[in-house]
Amino acid sequence: MIDSADNNGGAKAPEATGVRRRDFLKVLGAGGAATAMLGCGQEKVEKLIPYLVSPDQTVPGVSTYYATTCRECATGCGIIAETRDGRTIKLEGNPDHPVNQGALCARGQASLQGLYNPDRFRGPMIRRGGKLEAIKWDEALRLFAEKINETRRNGSAGNAVFINQHEAGSFGLFLDSWLAALGMPAHISYDAEADHAAITANKQNGGAAWPVLNFKGTKLIVSFGADFLDGWGAGVPQQLAFADARADYKNAPRLIYVGPRRSLTGLNADQWIDCRPGGEIAIAKMLSGALSPAQASQQSGAPQKALESLAREFAAAKPAMVLSGAGSSDLSAIAATLNSAPAGNGGYLGFEGIATAAEMRALAHRMSANGVSLLMVRGANPVYTLPKSVGFEAALKKVPYKVSFSSVPDETTELADLILPDHHFLEQWGDAEPMRGVLSLQQPTMDPVFDTRATTDVLISVGRAEAATAASYQYPDFRTWLIGRFPGGATALAAALPKGFTSGSIGYAPQARALPAVQTTTMDQTHGSMYLYVYPHPLLGDGRGANKPWLQELPDPVTKICWQTVAEMNPATLTKMGMANGDYVTVKTSAGSLTLPVLSYPGVQRDTIAIATGRGHPHSGRYASAGFNPLDLLPVSEDRSGAFVYASTKADVTKAGGSTWIVTTEGSSRQHGRGIGQAIGIAELGGQGNEEGVGAEHQKSGEKGEEMAGDASHEFLPGMRAPVANDAQGDRGDQASNDKGMYDPKHWSGMAKRRWAMTVDLARCTGCSACVTACYAENNIPTVGADWQGGKFLPDRTGFGANITRSREMAWLRIERYYEGGEDGSADFDTRFVPMMCQHCGNAPCEPVCPVYATYHAPDGLNVQVYNRCVGTRYCSNNCPYKVRYFNWFGYGEPGRAQYAFPEPLNWQLNPDVTVRGKGVMEKCTFCVQRIREAENRAKLEQREMQPDEFTTACAASCPSRAITFGDAADENWSVTKVAKDRRAYHVFEELNTYTAVVYLKKVLHSAPGAA
Amino acid sequence: MKRLVNLFTKPSKLFHFPTTYARMNLRSRWLALPGFICIAAFATMLSAYSGASSSQGWGPEQPVRFPHTVHAGTLKMNCLYCHYSANKSPDPGLPAVGTCMGCHNIVPGTTDAGKAEIKKLAGFWNNKQPVPWIRIHKLPEYVHFPHMRHVNAGVQCQTCHGQIQNMQQVYQANSLNMGWCVNCHIGQSNPPLKARYDCSTCHY
Repeated sequence: MIDSADNNGGAKAPEATGVRRRDFLKVLGAGGAATAMLGCGQEKVEKLIPYLVSPDQTVPGVSTYYATTCRECATGCGIIAETRDGRTIKLEGNPDHPVNQGALCARGQASLQGLYNPDRFRGPMIRRGGKLEAIKWDEALRLFAEKINETRRNGSAGNAVFINQHEAGSFGLFLDSWLAALGMPAHISYDAEADHAAITANKQNGGAAWPVLNFKGTKLIVSFGADFLDGWGAGVPQQLAFADARADYKNAPRLIYVGPRRSLTGLNADQWIDCRPGGEIAIAKMLSGALSPAQASQQSGAPQKALESLAREFAAAKPAMVLSGAGSSDLSAIAATLNSAPAGNGGYLGFEGIATAAEMRALAHRMSANGVSLLMVRGANPVYTLPKSVGFEAALKKVPYKVSFSSVPDETTELADLILPDHHFLEQWGDAEPMRGVLSLQQPTMDPVFDTRATTDVLISVGRAEAATAASYQYPDFRTWLIGRFPGGATALAAALPKGFTSGSIGYAPQARALPAVQTTTMDQTHGSMYLYVYPHPLLGDGRGANKPWLQELPDPVTKICWQTVAEMNPATLTKMGMANGDYVTVKTSAGSLTLPVLSYPGVQRDTIAIATGRGHPHSGRYASAGFNPLDLLPVSEDRSGAFVYASTKADVTKAGGSTWIVTTEGSSRQHGRGIGQAIGIAELGGQGNEEGVGAEHQKSGEKGEEMAGDASHEFLPGMRAPVANDAQGDRGDQASNDKGMYDPKHWSGMAKRRWAMTVDLARCTGCSACVTACYAENNIPTVGADWQGGKFLPDRTGFGANITRSREMAWLRIERYYEGGEDGSADFDTRFVPMMCQHCGNAPCEPVCPVYATYHAPDGLNVQVYNRCVGTRYCSNNCPYKVRYFNWFGYGEPGRAQYAFPEPLNWQLNPDVTVRGKGVMEKCTFCVQRIREAENRAKLEQREMQPDEFTTACAASCPSRAITFGDAADENWSVTKVAKDRRAYHVFEELNTYTAVVYLKKVLHSAPGAA
Repeated sequence: MKRLVNLFTKPSKLFHFPTTYARMNLRSRWLALPGFICIAAFATMLSAYSGASSSQGWGPEQPVRFPHTVHAGTLKMNCLYCHYSANKSPDPGLPAVGTCMGCHNIVPGTTDAGKAEIKKLAGFWNNKQPVPWIRIHKLPEYVHFPHMRHVNAGVQCQTCHGQIQNMQQVYQANSLNMGWCVNCHIGQSNPPLKARYDCSTCHY
């Protein structure tokens, strides 16, 4: 065009007036040069750092697996830690371990974020002038040894106290012998999560501290607030046993939950009987015949009709299991007499020897009377986990010297004078005896992240420094001590380590302790009309999970709340008080008051306000300060077993004015007829599982064969199942070509022979959300709810969870929770948990709308998202009926950005097989494509075909109820093919012709006998 | 409005650039330059995002001037001796300093320059320091390149890395761009090899 200027006559030489072509090209050329410099990646010179000496048995880029033992709760599950190039990147259950049989809960998965917690102590610290300062280990150990020596010299060694975060293993034995050698009393093993009323009752009945719950063969389970699916006791094995018992539909036990709030266990129950906190005992008395249903109803607030039917059903159902978890010894005693279920084999020893709340209060009393000369604490956080009314914090301040071995800062280390940080459990040696005769081994899975030291080794070095004990601590470290005790010594230990456990016993029985006088009270009626019900958070536990962003971001399985503490109230009560979701209420008791947002939850009894523990830590690092701590509201009240009573007071609940956003991942709690989570009655199912011949039986009775009315076909076809794929995929995009390339099942690559698919059994799924955390860990999914990650555009949406209120969570796999029935606010509603991930549709709505071909259908059935092609139009997400695509609104994966989700060293955990996504990119579930490719590579390397069920996805591997099956649906030999043939199978939104690769199996409803 | 109609009814006018050009006065001259800079910036972005760039030819000087010419060329050592996991792992493996010293404890070198470099290496070893090699071949993080699949399929190291045995100082011989990779995967290499060319083979 410029050239033509000369022909136009009107133009003179443009030098003087315009820009010449040469100049234009120069500018463009400079731009091009800049491009080359930008693009070629030389802006950052990377280093390749080799080993000094190659370690044996490791191959760079190939994972090494170590078997060890989980320490996140008292159960002691076996885990397999995947370590790549010296960093532990993923935890999975040990499939052979007798406790958890390959499953691992969300808390166990998240222990990696304890290992790589950015707030962990980098090394020993000392408090000087109120501030913590880093010191060297030599100096720290000298100081500690001096303190021990001084305590011994002035004769106050007998007044020293060691509080340990309870763990079942040799450590307690080792610690007690160390303390005894120095003239100090045995340690206090503390675990705020232990239900002492249940433990005491179990022991009094001659059983183990925590029995194996034998659901199989039981006709009826009546749970009085016993949340065996929420972490009450041995979480994972209980969930496994429950799911297995329920999967046998014909003989499945019915579960009735009695309590003021429907917990996760309550939502999994077939029926909920709502009663006031403390009212459970009246209902138990009714079952034992001491009260009439009318009396029980009057005393408990439960509807009389429900109680009558409960009494009838209980009388008929034998054997029946009656569980008591309401923290009352009286209730436990009645429950024990009502229980007719055969006892399970053995029990969990991890629940032995835990100090009660009464003992901790007695200790606080001693401390404030200046009766404690030296306090040592490891892992436990009594300042946070004991209610303020106990006065532990003030008492602790009176102790002249406090030494902490905790590896993360918390409210207790905040008061410590000297901090000698322990290794994380994944960095050190140890063992556990989770069940009698099972010796579970604990070994380091990687080198320590920080300059920490195993407390055991610190104790040994101090034992050696002290003249009186030097002779008995001549071994170099704790590992040597363990080997010395291990039957068969080092060789036997080395042989047992790959398996992770062996048969044997530690031979440690905690000394029986005299229980101090308990301070029992009756329900504090001085305030208000609402009952305050404080319950342990199913994911954060007693608060120890709060510094892990995965657990903060993981929605509570029941309320779907993350990063926030809310007060749950019944919708009917809220309406009566003229309040709505998100309004602030002030809850006031004799112990304190708290103002927090209110959440409408139909699973709370009408006179009750329920608040979860776990959040609101002032000193536990950057993630833990979200929310509030409801323990501050509780007055001291103890059960006669010494357990703290969490439902002990009434509260004034008043409207505080103002409202805030509820930090929830939930869109709607109702299905609105969409049929996402479907269910089938046990009667309709014929009381049968997916046994052979079911179809034939139905044909005889005149029904349709394999499928039930309304069921569409759920078969998979390999390769070109999807009409769209069939039309669009010529060889390398040539639509005229008949050569379908890799989309042809006969293609040499064999890719189209496979159809990767998944089944989710809703009858097994309990909604526990372990799979969600497993997915976060495997797929480098960023957490987005921390307060610095939210945008600063709307003033009412700042702070923790700001991004979540804008629906910007990134959970590739989420658990949807829907209520069915009970719209009138009655307790009679059913719950559907639906794990929802990318359905890998054969005819995917997201694919045709992508303008840049960033999402497309792979020949092996995967709906693939190519991050480097994606330009972030978000059309795909808009067109996805399942809403399983997630957009990177900020640079969560880009170091240096304010929203970076993996502050050092959390980024050490990132899976090197999965791309960390940048800003402006869409992402979603990949069916763990990296595991598929890895399995293909491995098979190829070993010159063999891939074996059926050779690998599985991260979610399926972790699932403690075995609800998820993954595999090749085009191959008969994979389990997924068999499971997908179940009569309960359906696709979500089948009417959209999406041809999904995920098959759901309907939930099975067990209605009360006699009811329709 | 009238002008707009005219423009549409007489499309030739719309592109009557010469007249406009001729009328360029001093002010538009000052505007044109920033305009072109904008266009250049846009082209820059487009080019950067298209990935049509490469560090082909980049060959920095390494902390120890390791001569592949001697080891792989003259001595004909197998590449896998040092890059020990290239046939069993996605990661080719980088020799540990100990591996180098395994020979160089007794091999002092032949030339003066060589001796000096081996002394440097021994210095790292004696100080218990790894050699901080500078990375030359790097694929973006969103690409997964399993070395073992290629090595076991009979792809020569030289196919991607060039004639390493002749390189005094190693440089990136090929562009390593996607088009370059795909060329082999779709069977257009010589001799033809076949491999999957589905996106999710490498991108996940």
